[in-house]
Amino acid sequence: MMDLDNRNHFLNNLARNLGRSRRTEGVVRPKWSLNPQWDVYKDYTQDELVDVLEEQCKVIHTTFKRTDFANLEAVLTETVQGHDGKIIIAANDPRNDEYGLDSIYESWREDAVDVRLWNKKIGKENQVFAEKADIGITFSEITLAESGTVTLFNDRNNGRTISLLPRVHVVIIPKSTIVPRMTQAMRKIHEANAQGNDVSSCVSFISGPSNSADIEMNLIVGVHGPVEATYIVVDDK
Amino acid sequence: MKVSLFITCLSDIFTANVGKDTVEVLERFGCEVDFPDTQTCCGQPAYNSGYLKNTKETMKHMMKVFRHSEYVVGPSGSCVAMLRGYADVFKDDPEWAEESKQFAAKCYELSQFLVDVLKITDVGSTFTGRVTYHPSCHMTRILGVKEAPLQLLGNVKGIDLIGLPQAEDCCGFGGTFAVKQSTISGEMVQEKADHVVETEAEYLVGGDMACLMNIGGRLSREGRNVKVVHLAEILNHR
Amino acid sequence: MGIRIGNPSFDKRVHEGIENEFMIESVSSAQGRFRSRKAAASEELGNWEDWRALGEEIRTHTLENIDFYLQQLSDNVVKRGGHVFFAETAEEANAYVQNVVKKKNAKKIVKSKSMVTEEIGLNKAIEEAGAEVVETDLGEWILQLDGDVPSHIVTPALHLNRDQIKETFMEKRGYDKSNTPEELGLFARQELRKDFLSADIGITGCNFAVAESGAVTFVTNEGNARLATALPDTQITVMGLERIVPTWEELDVLVSLLTRAAVGQKLTSYITSITGTRLAGEIDGPEEFHLVIVDNGRSKILGTEFQSALHCIRCAACINVCPVYRHIGGHAYGSIYPGPIGAVLTPLLDGYENHKELPYASTLCAACTEACPVKIPLHEHLIRHREIIVENGMAPTAEKAAMNGFVKWSTHPAAYKMSAKFARTALKPWTKDETITNGPGPLKNWTEQRDFPAPGRQTFRSWFKEREKGGGSK
Repeated sequence: MMDLDNRNHFLNNLARNLGRSRRTEGVVRPKWSLNPQWDVYKDYTQDELVDVLEEQCKVIHTTFKRTDFANLEAVLTETVQGHDGKIIIAANDPRNDEYGLDSIYESWREDAVDVRLWNKKIGKENQVFAEKADIGITFSEITLAESGTVTLFNDRNNGRTISLLPRVHVVIIPKSTIVPRMTQAMRKIHEANAQGNDVSSCVSFISGPSNSADIEMNLIVGVHGPVEATYIVVDDK
Repeated sequence: MKVSLFITCLSDIFTANVGKDTVEVLERFGCEVDFPDTQTCCGQPAYNSGYLKNTKETMKHMMKVFRHSEYVVGPSGSCVAMLRGYADVFKDDPEWAEESKQFAAKCYELSQFLVDVLKITDVGSTFTGRVTYHPSCHMTRILGVKEAPLQLLGNVKGIDLIGLPQAEDCCGFGGTFAVKQSTISGEMVQEKADHVVETEAEYLVGGDMACLMNIGGRLSREGRNVKVVHLAEILNHR
Repeated sequence: MGIRIGNPSFDKRVHEGIENEFMIESVSSAQGRFRSRKAAASEELGNWEDWRALGEEIRTHTLENIDFYLQQLSDNVVKRGGHVFFAETAEEANAYVQNVVKKKNAKKIVKSKSMVTEEIGLNKAIEEAGAEVVETDLGEWILQLDGDVPSHIVTPALHLNRDQIKETFMEKRGYDKSNTPEELGLFARQELRKDFLSADIGITGCNFAVAESGAVTFVTNEGNARLATALPDTQITVMGLERIVPTWEELDVLVSLLTRAAVGQKLTSYITSITGTRLAGEIDGPEEFHLVIVDNGRSKILGTEFQSALHCIRCAACINVCPVYRHIGGHAYGSIYPGPIGAVLTPLLDGYENHKELPYASTLCAACTEACPVKIPLHEHLIRHREIIVENGMAPTAEKAAMNGFVKWSTHPAAYKMSAKFARTALKPWTKDETITNGPGPLKNWTEQRDFPAPGRQTFRSWFKEREKGGGSK
């Protein structure tokens, strides 16, 4: 909702100060004269980008693992045990089946690990559970090698708090999602938007665990969000 | 090559030797140096204090003084940056826009002129001693001369050139700042002087007399045994 | 609180700053770290100057078409179920937020770090509306508990040390552990988690809004902006009118410039873009979303020679390289926006009357201009400010007289020559061993801090004249 008089008054004033009449249409974003962002890791192969990502994980205090489909269960189980994960919340992602996570979760449950998928039917109970959880598990949609960033398009099956409230964030990164940097991700979002597809209500670019340097510029890893993060790159089938 | 020396008011009055050395270095490389006698100051003290309207008179005077010069060369990055800045000051002035542009294009700081115009990086001088270099702010950031002085110094025989910690930091001079905000300026020059002392250099060299006067003044106040020399003096030392 | 902070006297504030040894020490060491990180992050790209040029180009285009992009943004926010309010003044912005607080009958509000809400004094307005407001950025929380004000726009509690912070936690929150940053941070996490879970409204600032889709973006490391926008059912985002980019593609460039210039990170831990309200079936995120777009003096800057000051992306790179800031600290500026950008912006937003010293709190060394990731000519803006102060007759009379004298002197070669010739004689009474240690008049301030050299025995021009006659020697 918006009061159009309120807006007109405000924007007319801006136009007046700029010494011209109001621009309500016809402004086209120019072709920028330089585009250095496209040169970063240009022509890198997917495997080279995996190496870049691995290096960057050291900088952002994030554990990096790489596996193939066959060994995902072992690596994921080892990760969860390593973080002492007894309570786990995971995105209700269509890929859970494809990556065999459904059956992995089932086997954990047999070992008395409380694994729950995000369930829109139980409303705020999801948050309460996430708050208690040791680990939240998500999939990265687009992975930025340069900054070690996973991108989540949060929605009703993939709540924002899965990657936020638990103590540890574990991210499954399909190797094919890795791109050089934010530039490629933003183009994708921009193009989808231009085609009339609504952008997700929350796009989260996440680079490792939360941290702060507010006390004497000393890095504290883990402030409001997760204290630890593990990325698992899965080679595509 | 004909060169008009722009001495800067500071060197004219306080450090004539810097002017002498500048003249001799230029002559050594075949320049015919003249000194337009009606030159005064570049106008920076008033310009930087916000007295733009009045300063334009000073600027016009200086442009007239050097109207017929082929090159204008001076031993100060800051003052030369001001001369070059006239082009921006007069860019919308129908009478002076063109002249100020041409004027700016022929003004050079000494090391800049040696390296960029005369293409000389080794002036063949000898200077024995432990030396540290302060790159003044206007020389490096406004005029954009970063490498030339170091290239020239690096080729001086016998010199022991030591890096100055946090060299790029301002010494706290800032024209009227040194007087108007003398307490803050004092803190800044103290820090700079401390860094100079840290290097254990015998000589502090720079391309701007004003900064050297400021740092030297603090070193002297503290009884530090560091001699302050202008770049031209080292380049003319045999 | 508003934009103005601390003692009304600039000289007193400077004095307090210089005397505060711990603060100066911590500011200095923080600057050192910021600078080396930023240098590494920009050098690593190899073409930082191209990035800066692109940043400048984007900001210039956006501000020149700011009415169009704000219209597009607001249309898109409304399309996604949000409310948009345009506030010309701080009062209007605060009243709007108060109204939401009352309507929602909100008791507790969590807030993530935001300079614009500091600028308009929003916390006080919320408290007046009867709600509790909790700052959740670690640095801001410390300041809030302590009743203190920020001294830096990225790390607001830069002036406090761990012992002071521990004291504050003990006194205000019954903290009983050590002074290590880890334990202090963990305590904040535990305390603030309770607030997040019980808050009715989350309030955020906005680093950049994306016009093409109505998204607002938060750049943080702690994750507090994420919590403040994921848990409460109502979200209010307050943004300065200039904090906008045309599309997601420009968001990439500006976020990359921001994180590298601010903290030397390729990206911060969290870059979060929120568009409108939560969608059907979503649990996290607000069911009610308000975007408050604030002018508060910014529009007056449009169309003036200072327009590029609105390009600022609040990275603090200029603050981190400023040698004056290093020696006086943030509070000395008397504004929540300290350092070079503060000295440029504060008089524009709040008038010269209370801030006329700020344009002079600089040596014009241009380290700020060189550091700015969007190429704002900060030191040149400071000179423009000085020109305005002079033109409006606000400069000291003595300075005016001196400068008029200077111009006469520098346009009359005969007078110049005369004074050059007699300078040495004139200063003789104060000269000893070629040095003046206690000078007269304006030299007094100089010699309070350092020695002044005696003018030379001979001027350069007289030497040159003699030499031309064949008599000069070295």
